[in-house]
Amino acid sequence: MNDSVIITISIGLANIVMALLLAPFCQGVMRKVTAIIQSRKGPPLWQPYYDLLKLLGKEDIESGDSPVMQRAAVYMSLATVLTIACLIPMGLSAPMNSAGDVMLLIYLLTFSGICTLLGGLAAGSTYSLIGISRQMMIMIMLEPLFTVAIIVGAVHAQSFRLDTVLDGSVYMNRGFPWSGVIMLVIMLLSFQAFVERVPFDISEAETELMEGPLIEYSGPKLAVFKYASMVKLIIYSALLIDIFFPWHGGISMPLQWMLFWLKIFCLVLLAALVAATHARYRIDQAVRFFALLLAVGLAAVVLAGFGY
Amino acid sequence: MFDQARLNRLKERFGASLLRADMPADKRLFLYVEPSALKDICRYIFIDMDARYVISIGVDDRPFSGSFMVVHNFAFDRDHLLCSVIVLIPPDDPRVDSITDVAPAANWAEREIRDMLGIEPVGHRYPKRLILPDGWPDGVYPLRKDISWDHVPEGFDGGREYLFDEPPEGCMVVPFGPFHPTLDEPSHFRLYVEGEMVRGCEYRGFMVHRGIEKLSETVMSYNDINIMAERICGICGCVHSVAYSQAVEAAAAIKIPQRAKYVRTIMLEIERHHSHLLWAGLACHIIGFDTMFMQSFRIREPIMHMAEKITGNRKTYGLCVIGGVRWDIPLELHGEIRQLLDRLEGEWNPVVSSLSKDRNIQKRTRGVGVADRNAVKNMGLVGPVARAAGIDIDCRRDHPYAAYDRVEFDVITEQGGDVWSRLLVRAREVFESIKIIRHCLEKMEPGPLQAEIKDELPVGRMGLSSVEAPRGESHHFVITGENNRPRRWRVRAPTYQNLQGVPLMIKDQQIADMTISLGSIDPCFSCTDRLETIDIKSGVTKIWSQEELQKLANRKKA
Amino acid sequence: MSVMSKIKETIICLKAGRVTMPYPAQPQPVPPAFRGRPIFDATKCIGCGGCASNCPAREILVLDLCQEIRIIKYLGRRCAYCGRCADVCPEKAITMSKEFENATNSIGDIGQRLELFMSTCQRCGRCFTEKTPLEQLKMKGYRFDDIQNDRWIFRSRGYLGDEPFTSDIKIEMD
Repeated sequence: MNDSVIITISIGLANIVMALLLAPFCQGVMRKVTAIIQSRKGPPLWQPYYDLLKLLGKEDIESGDSPVMQRAAVYMSLATVLTIACLIPMGLSAPMNSAGDVMLLIYLLTFSGICTLLGGLAAGSTYSLIGISRQMMIMIMLEPLFTVAIIVGAVHAQSFRLDTVLDGSVYMNRGFPWSGVIMLVIMLLSFQAFVERVPFDISEAETELMEGPLIEYSGPKLAVFKYASMVKLIIYSALLIDIFFPWHGGISMPLQWMLFWLKIFCLVLLAALVAATHARYRIDQAVRFFALLLAVGLAAVVLAGFGY
Repeated sequence: MFDQARLNRLKERFGASLLRADMPADKRLFLYVEPSALKDICRYIFIDMDARYVISIGVDDRPFSGSFMVVHNFAFDRDHLLCSVIVLIPPDDPRVDSITDVAPAANWAEREIRDMLGIEPVGHRYPKRLILPDGWPDGVYPLRKDISWDHVPEGFDGGREYLFDEPPEGCMVVPFGPFHPTLDEPSHFRLYVEGEMVRGCEYRGFMVHRGIEKLSETVMSYNDINIMAERICGICGCVHSVAYSQAVEAAAAIKIPQRAKYVRTIMLEIERHHSHLLWAGLACHIIGFDTMFMQSFRIREPIMHMAEKITGNRKTYGLCVIGGVRWDIPLELHGEIRQLLDRLEGEWNPVVSSLSKDRNIQKRTRGVGVADRNAVKNMGLVGPVARAAGIDIDCRRDHPYAAYDRVEFDVITEQGGDVWSRLLVRAREVFESIKIIRHCLEKMEPGPLQAEIKDELPVGRMGLSSVEAPRGESHHFVITGENNRPRRWRVRAPTYQNLQGVPLMIKDQQIADMTISLGSIDPCFSCTDRLETIDIKSGVTKIWSQEELQKLANRKKA
Repeated sequence: MSVMSKIKETIICLKAGRVTMPYPAQPQPVPPAFRGRPIFDATKCIGCGGCASNCPAREILVLDLCQEIRIIKYLGRRCAYCGRCADVCPEKAITMSKEFENATNSIGDIGQRLELFMSTCQRCGRCFTEKTPLEQLKMKGYRFDDIQNDRWIFRSRGYLGDEPFTSDIKIEMD
């Protein structure tokens, strides 16, 4: 094997390993920030790691309607997020760059949401059914938003390649990037919903639905779901940064990578601040909000088509 | 006098049916009537004279007067009058006309009389079991004098189930409770849901019954009941202890010293502070806003420290005895209390002003859980729920007790009738409480803390007292008795009435709003379930054994 | 606007700082009036039984072994820490201590047992004058609570006898 292959493989692995290792840490940072705002000490930063370890050791009770689908939902959910992590450049270029284009990315993102739906459906209890119906309503509104952002980027970049689109493509037009800025605002406003945090964590509202779709999961399966949702936080932040805040021109390698992760932490901080200071919205209010954003997003696509 | 005018009106209209009228104190009227005219008299009082329905009580008076008694209590808030309409029922035919046609608010009270004493309310719209557990055998009535307090009934049927009503067309059933993260105590609301909208609900509660009223008649004594009364509720305990003491003091005509009245007032207001702040936090937690929950608990903590300094405990003050109070507020503590109040005001003011402009919270609470004026009147809702609908009632001003006749304060009302209005009412009441405590500290005079009771208390006297708990009006009814204990003690907590209004509040609302609507009445289920529960451990342990519970949890069951 | 109110709320929160106490890593002091576990002082006790008569939870038992020896046993299981026993004691033999960390595996750690030598006339409740008629439970005479099984017996007797009572409260322990 020559050096370049080894380097390529290790760069690719570094991407995924960083994302997987740091996912619980970001969750820990969010909990700590929330605790500071709530005037208390909060759990240690490494607490999510301990939580996952504890859950892995617990009894795995299969109590839903169809245990086979429950198991399948769990494995697919983890597999999906891992695959997505391989497709996104996180400071270093994505290892599976040539495996597909942005369409694959969009499908995989939607599919990760569907895995939770399947999980809730397999459980079959009243609360999980209500939870997945809410999740479906939100997904119908949210996934198009993300698709629209990517399409704006693709239109400007004139290609569907992953590394081109996920590189600040929305700003790639001549003159002032109108559609880019509009999409940036829309994405920031709906970021909380993508990462399933207050004010939009409606499907898992503890005080109303007792955990929603995940209600029948325990032990290792619950650990996998929780972990998948932590990785989603990193994935969506990375996507947001790649599309809207890439700016790495001219900085050398290790610094560029550290800058990327710094930006991720800033986004995590922002998400934590918003989550700590807001109340949860009701499903109809959320749906109306996203419908409005979607309308604006479509207008942005039209603008992009005209080169603005 | 007003009472005389009212009494004359009643006499004119009902003449022969009024058997006896007692007016032992300024503002109390006990009217004995013929059972046949009961419903008409209640209709006249409730609708024509526009009184407020308070509670109905059943008494087993057979060892003393040879008959059962049913007492309906009404309140004339404008005229500061509490009145009881009493009927004596022959023991061999225990039936009474139900007044639920006239006052729907009597729904639960009459079901309770039926469960506990076996007095059948004829014509009740909904005669289902309320208090007793499902498997309790028929014919065993716990509050009758011939049943001992530790009686374990034979024939407890663990497998019998409660027959719920049929859900309306096209509705799915969503069980809310008995275990749910939002509820602190178990209660079961069966929601009939169509999509996301609630179309109806049925309540099955009283799962934490503790047998307090039976114990008070059989094994406790007058001063022991004070300690027990304050454990009826974990948040409004002082209210129950004060209300009970006042009822006995009214029945036995004991006048307590002025300083004791001031101490009681101060402790009641301290309790109101901590309860309202706790509720504000809880309501925000229910809608997902945990930060506000933590902050309101932070602001509340100094109040608990102060209560501990004065009485020795953060919550169970152990404050009252019959005839006075046990703890004093010495002059050294006055300065600290004033500092505490200033600090509380300084911290709560910015929170309230930023909350009232917060559109995020308003979106979740405006127009939700609406109880309008009609609902309040018919279901007898009390407290902030009624004040938020624009009805101006407050026991501190309408039926003054303790030192409330000597302090000035405003009664806060809003017009919306929804959860947002209730939040504003409670948030602003904190400032009024601060005012009341400041007045009390200024006006307190030195003096004794307990009245001298030289003789035993007279037997067979009735006493009523209404105290404004943080949740509404808490009403106690006592009949004094032999052997140093009462013959009958009835506790009506405010949640008892307010819970009956919940089905109206959640109808045609979304499921997501169910918890905040329920939370907005500030439910205190421990106050509500305070009857019954003799040891049924024998029956229940068999059913809910460890393995069976495990299996139940693993089986899929909605 | 909503954003302004959120920012104001955040500032209120951050100004407060961290308010959680380090307990139990560090001890937490309590105010002087705190009502903790009651401590019975046998050297001051005259054996009147006023505490037993006035305990709302019926957690203080009294047993007369013979004319000279009375045993007073504080069980402490359902003690409500109300302090009525301390209020009522004529010799101030009961103090409400500051101890609130009373959790233990063995109930015997909390119970206190006093064996008192009674001189001939200080037996019945008549020697102890209650403050008000409300504090009398009319428990005059010899008391025979079941100390072996921790059972409180409602009636006292005017005489010393051998047979125990049979129908009375049975307080069950877990």
